[in-house]
Amino acid sequence: MTRIATGAAVLDPVRPAGPRALAGGGAPGVFTPNATLVRRLDLTASVARFVVRRDGPAIPHVAGQYLALGIWADGRLLQRPYSTASPPSASGELEFLIRRVPHGALTPRLWELPRGARLRLGSPKGLLTLDPRRDRAAVFAASGTGLAPIISMLAAVLAGPAEACPPRLLVLHGVSYVAELAYRGRLERWAAIHPGLAYEPVISRPGDPLNAGWNGAVGHLDLALDAAWQRHRLDRQRTVTYLCGNPEVIAAATRLLAARGVPPDAIVAERYWTTPNTGPSALDRAS
Amino acid sequence: MSYVIAEPCIDQQDQSCVAVCPVDCISADPASDRKFYIDPDGCIDCGSCETACPNQAIFRSDQLPPEWARFALVDATWFSDPARARRAVDELLPAA
Repeated sequence: MTRIATGAAVLDPVRPAGPRALAGGGAPGVFTPNATLVRRLDLTASVARFVVRRDGPAIPHVAGQYLALGIWADGRLLQRPYSTASPPSASGELEFLIRRVPHGALTPRLWELPRGARLRLGSPKGLLTLDPRRDRAAVFAASGTGLAPIISMLAAVLAGPAEACPPRLLVLHGVSYVAELAYRGRLERWAAIHPGLAYEPVISRPGDPLNAGWNGAVGHLDLALDAAWQRHRLDRQRTVTYLCGNPEVIAAATRLLAARGVPPDAIVAERYWTTPNTGPSALDRAS
Repeated sequence: MSYVIAEPCIDQQDQSCVAVCPVDCISADPASDRKFYIDPDGCIDCGSCETACPNQAIFRSDQLPPEWARFALVDATWFSDPARARRAVDELLPAA
């Protein structure tokens, strides 16, 4: 994670040393599920929204954070972190936007789970959270499933007190196919209700037959973000930009923002997997 | 492959890594340990700890600087024999 903005992390208690510390909530050979798969909502054959209910009372999270989602496979706990699209609430249900990775270790198995399957949820983690400087405009740019934490943050600020909501909210979502525009209806409704919120989806493969009929913005997300900065006349000293998803897109967007003079502490980024060119990721979802 | 916490963590223990590790595989006993340890069996290689560490103490195991190569074994050892791992830490960097 590239958290360059302000804000201190809330540290979890340090676990005491023992015969063997528990990795992610389970000793070797022991699966201790604490959640249930409630439903899966398919957007496409490879992108879906998973709704999971944790046993017992909800564990508070900060909008934008991720949790490890684990299953028992091949005699061990197999888990990967996913940002939740859910805002903090008492319902105990958490939603995750997940892309199925062909030949991945976890996601093909997730797609095989029936409703009611038992899972292991980790504790909320991560620093892609709203900047406390709420008097600044907020620009969210997500590629693919990187939209999830942004939905969580938007839901939180739109449901909260007006003074805690940034004066302008701009959401750019870049995907390859129109069908992958998760939460499109929700974002369009929010934009219709909230005058300060603009939603601008971008399709990167406009020539593909699957995108026939699309008459919205096309191109790459980083360039769309750069253009949006100019079109909306954003003030680099009064705007915080949140980037999430594809690390190469984030790297390109960060370079463009830097060229515009955006200070590093006004960029909050979370990369979803590792590439040789972009360094380590916060959340390697490539499985 | 996993990540490893090397010498720059000793007597620093910033804890930023603990805050971001999605699978809770970084541990220490604050009463006894001079550094944190990554469980190689639990690590999912996400690299979030490496990015978060302000002391540049965390490396992929295959990218550990040679002078800190022993820390891979130290981290792994702590999860089965913490006392032995602590002795190794004291040998590698004696307490001031």
